[in-house]
Amino acid sequence: MTTLPVCAADPGLFGGYTAGPFYDEMFASQGRARSHYSRLFTKLGGMAPSQFEERRKLADLSFLLQGITFTVYSDGRGTERLFPFDLIPRILPQSEWERIERGLSQRVVALNLFLQDVYGRQLILKDRKIPASLVFSCRHFRREMVGLEVPHGIYTHICGIDLVRDSASGEFMVLEDNVRTPSGVSYVLENRLVMTRTFPEVFQEHEVLPVNHYPAELSRILRSVSPRGESDPQIVLLTPGIHNSAYFEHSFLAQQMGIELVEGRDLVVDGVVVYMKTINGLKRVDVIYRRVDDDFIDPLCFRSDSMLGVPGLMGAYRAGNIALVNTPGNGVADDKAIYAYVPELIRYYLGEDPLLKTVETYLCDRSDHLSHVLANLPQLVVKSVGESGGYGMLMGPSADRAQIADFRDKIVAEPRNYIAQPIVPLSVVPSYDATSERIAGRHVDLRPYCLYDGQNVTIVPGGLTRVALQQGSLVVNSSQGGGSKDTWILRGEC
Amino acid sequence: MLSRIADSLFWLGRYIERAEDTARILDVTFHTLLEQKQQPFGVRWDPIISMAGEETLFRQLYNEPNAHNVFEFLAFSPNNPSSIMQCINKARENARTIRDRISREMWEDLNGLYFSLGRFDPQEEILAGPHRFCGRVIFGSHRFHGVSDATLPRDEGWEFLRVGWALERAEMTARLVDVQYRTLLEPTVEAGPPDNHQWMAVLKSVGAYEAYHRQYHSPIDPARVAEMLILHPRHPRSIRFSSTEVQSALRAISNTGPGSYANEAERLAGKVLERLRYDRIDEILQTGLHSYLTEIIRLFNSIGEAIARSYFYYALPA
Repeated sequence: MTTLPVCAADPGLFGGYTAGPFYDEMFASQGRARSHYSRLFTKLGGMAPSQFEERRKLADLSFLLQGITFTVYSDGRGTERLFPFDLIPRILPQSEWERIERGLSQRVVALNLFLQDVYGRQLILKDRKIPASLVFSCRHFRREMVGLEVPHGIYTHICGIDLVRDSASGEFMVLEDNVRTPSGVSYVLENRLVMTRTFPEVFQEHEVLPVNHYPAELSRILRSVSPRGESDPQIVLLTPGIHNSAYFEHSFLAQQMGIELVEGRDLVVDGVVVYMKTINGLKRVDVIYRRVDDDFIDPLCFRSDSMLGVPGLMGAYRAGNIALVNTPGNGVADDKAIYAYVPELIRYYLGEDPLLKTVETYLCDRSDHLSHVLANLPQLVVKSVGESGGYGMLMGPSADRAQIADFRDKIVAEPRNYIAQPIVPLSVVPSYDATSERIAGRHVDLRPYCLYDGQNVTIVPGGLTRVALQQGSLVVNSSQGGGSKDTWILRGEC
Repeated sequence: MLSRIADSLFWLGRYIERAEDTARILDVTFHTLLEQKQQPFGVRWDPIISMAGEETLFRQLYNEPNAHNVFEFLAFSPNNPSSIMQCINKARENARTIRDRISREMWEDLNGLYFSLGRFDPQEEILAGPHRFCGRVIFGSHRFHGVSDATLPRDEGWEFLRVGWALERAEMTARLVDVQYRTLLEPTVEAGPPDNHQWMAVLKSVGAYEAYHRQYHSPIDPARVAEMLILHPRHPRSIRFSSTEVQSALRAISNTGPGSYANEAERLAGKVLERLRYDRIDEILQTGLHSYLTEIIRLFNSIGEAIARSYFYYALPA
């Protein structure tokens, strides 16, 4: 541990910093940086707030010019906003990361086996390890997928698994799985790029594991699932279009992988084969990395009012003429009620104990759990099982009476739709507070991106650290005012 | 290449060019008026509104045209779909939908232009006059050309961008000559004959003033100005030069050699060029410049439609 007393006369960026009651990832105790943070602490401690502010403006400008923005619809106009980027990196030692990595790999493989099983022989239901009623009542369970052979048996090509560090134990645990169309990986790559440009000297002093092989790895997997198995398959990324909040990411990934970025209107199905409309006529498509939700990919199969999808796409998929990544129907595996059973799934399919902990979860459609939940709402967080992005949530401790009463009614009316968890006291990482122009502790989570090729799970070191920039806030979603940080895995550190 | 992407590149080129051409015309017109100590035959604002093809819309929004409202209308108005800001907005929207297909440098450059123009305060600029704003637009367009030239691979995408640029430029120059000729050669009784300054302004608005003097070594003569802007084989803003660009880009897309055509757009481009190559200015003036240019502009419109039919639109299979 390195001790660096902050000078009283010129407190600098860390002036007034207190670790607070939460697990502080930089400081072991007041003013004592953990060893993997010591060089960064020295650097920042010696920096005048004005110098830091200058770098911050530079970074913001870089994001603005690149158009790395997301669209917010709450103001009715669809304004472009910068996804706030916090310049202070979040650092994890390699040894800790490797433990996380093993836990994530185990989880991804188990979730894939679960999906194979649920849409196949359904052995886990016959063995009564998980209630069949729970599985079949998942909003994102797709009957259309039952009995369908998917290419190479892969469902979960891309998973974003949200982790949090519990202040009580200091350990990482899984908060939720995202196995439908997880987004955010472009920020991992862009944050790194901006970081190396804005803080080159800090970057040079650390040996940070690289992340930029993600597009190449994803591209390899997309190629490998081509049903025609040709050496040069036609791969496209299907986007809902320019108005989608993740549009930047869609175009970024398409460009990085050198694949065509298409909208539903660019594709057409003829004779159960998918084609794209080019200036030289129709051209056959083999693999679709789709960033359009299940509900919208095919109006003939799912929601008939969808304008974003391609009529007949699922027919071509059933005929084996196209690969879809991720596979439709994955939502059954990241349902927040199924989440409670994932440790059981890992034991059932792999015969192993889960390496990563999960948060204690109360299922509101179990009467014993429901009574506990209703009696303790002000202490719990309640989540709607099929939602993501921080929507449909109740944070008990910060909710007022009316909100709690409202949620109570919703839970009682539709218990299957809700789960409740104790509030996890998230760890904090020093982050820049623009109002006070000082560094303060802010809550973070971590979303690593896992790629699965049917044999191995590849995870780019780190992932997206999301940070709740409001003091005291535990909600890190970008749609709810969160920002992000570059995440550094330091080689050789333990 | 996806049809939608080709379509967006084509319009990206057109909107950037339209913004630049509008800025050029605005800037030069204002400065010519400024240089004239008195305005002997009144201020003629109508021509530049006609050039934008938006007379009806202008009359709906304003009363009599004057320096302020014409500038506002052509530069900033969100109600005028051809205003410079609207063109830049649409160029950026098109670029955004295809940002994975253009170079990162092109997107960042255009995005930067969009933000820098957005920082201009219309009310302040209207009082200050158009030079600062128009200068930025023209420079921005040139820089975008340069960045594209330096970074975009020379595939079909480049050709669609180029055909958009060239077709728009050809049409804008045709409109400019048509409108200016009509206005300048038909002075009102009380106004008297127009002086050379107006013709100089026309030349300057297409950046051909110095080139004119190198070419003709003579005072400004309306017929020669028209010749330069319509028929000059090498001046980059002449109608003939731009039409050659249109043809060459279209041939590159379909991989067609000289002497034949692969589609209707190429046939029409060849037809326009035939005239521009072999007609003489005295013949054109004799038969009537206005009808000549009206026919040329009609052909340009047909080329645009034919490109869309050949490359952008799809009839769905039954």
